[in-house]
Amino acid sequence: MSERSGVGAVQVAILEALAATAGRGFRSNEHVLREAESRIGLAPWYAYPVLVDLAQPWKMPVTLVDGQGNFGSRGNDPAASRRYTESRLTEAGRVVLAAERRDLAPVPVGLINGTTYRDGTQPPFRPLAVIEAIRHVIRHPIATAQDIVSMIGPPDFITGCTVTGDLEAFAAGLPTELRLQAKITISDDGQSVIVENIPPNITTDDAAMSIAKRAGQTSDLSQPSPLHTATRLDVSSVWDESNSRTPDGRIVCKPATGVPPEQVRDQLTTVYGVYTTIYVALPRSLSATIRQWVETNQAEDLAASLTALETAIRDAT
Amino acid sequence: MAGSAPSAEDGTNGDPAGYPAGVLAAAVLATTGVSFVLVGSAALWLRGESIPVGDADVVIEPGEQNMRRARAALADMALQPHAVPQAARLAMLDIVTIMTSYGKIDCLLRRGRLDWDRLRTNADVMLVAGAEVVVAAGSDAWKLRRRFKDVRR
Repeated sequence: MSERSGVGAVQVAILEALAATAGRGFRSNEHVLREAESRIGLAPWYAYPVLVDLAQPWKMPVTLVDGQGNFGSRGNDPAASRRYTESRLTEAGRVVLAAERRDLAPVPVGLINGTTYRDGTQPPFRPLAVIEAIRHVIRHPIATAQDIVSMIGPPDFITGCTVTGDLEAFAAGLPTELRLQAKITISDDGQSVIVENIPPNITTDDAAMSIAKRAGQTSDLSQPSPLHTATRLDVSSVWDESNSRTPDGRIVCKPATGVPPEQVRDQLTTVYGVYTTIYVALPRSLSATIRQWVETNQAEDLAASLTALETAIRDAT
Repeated sequence: MAGSAPSAEDGTNGDPAGYPAGVLAAAVLATTGVSFVLVGSAALWLRGESIPVGDADVVIEPGEQNMRRARAALADMALQPHAVPQAARLAMLDIVTIMTSYGKIDCLLRRGRLDWDRLRTNADVMLVAGAEVVVAAGSDAWKLRRRFKDVRR
């Protein structure tokens, strides 16, 4: 990871290549990748999955690449071939590049985006909360660990799922497992139960399949056993309404005849896909991570780089 | 000897719906007739440990017939059935992870080839929502967990 931005070496090469080949416009990813891979000696097309991750807006809170064309979906659709997609830098991507080139002081983008989107163990956080916590530590070097942790808050996944688990252990730097859960609501007319904000580490297609499987597995049993009772999902039909307007997923479940929607809502919390788990670990405690970042970089103009990053993030939302 | 899963003291209060998903995954797999020993966090939870259960780790008994049964059962439970390897391939692989509506099932196939007799001898049958699940001895489950994970106890 780069010390200037916390962004990986291949990612930085992609950003450099985008700046070199695309300027402010879009550029075919075939050209971008050729440039990026020649810069750091990668085998051909090795960097494409990395570029796709950078451009998929549901992957990380600070998106560094603006993609044009088919970059896949939150379902199981992959991105189109590099020949049919184009990219350009986002403003945040420009800020990262400026930090890498020492035109700006370092920015904590790696700390914000985490690494769980690539099966790493560092989860993402609310971008503006991290920036604010860093400013707080700069202003108040003796800020307590508790202050820092409460300012940053728990890990925050871009799909908006809820995060529970041993957050205290996590903030203390201990490896732990967190539970991510989708939002489950009952429709205004009480006729359906809606699952939204699906955790990021499962596709919406798989989440919908999981609900349908569970409903199917348990609906055809005539003699309810205790296991049937424990695993039942009283749903008569499932629609996956996830699309580009609902990128965080939307799955609609119709309760079986005579089953209250509240019961289905509770049953859904046991269905994998509606919830997932994720293994997380920071290299050190959260407060120590922030303190160390400030101590390492405080000789530079952090106020300017943090403002540039904040502006880029705000403008993107 | 058949034991029964923890109830009042573990928070389930005898309510089958109180089982973690990983434990239920093992129970559902057990009803298909596949021969396996449950290890990992689900086994430890059933042994009364206060531990979060992320997934089901199962050591599958080697042998052609059981592999065929396992393949069929796992394909039936899997969110992506085509991703489940054929029985002959299962017999050669080390670990296969299957995503189900109960979460991940990690099939520790190599461990089964190396250690089946010992694990099975030390294990007990426990009832999970009426299903008989073969659960590894606590010492075996901890040993395997430490080998693969670094989660605080």
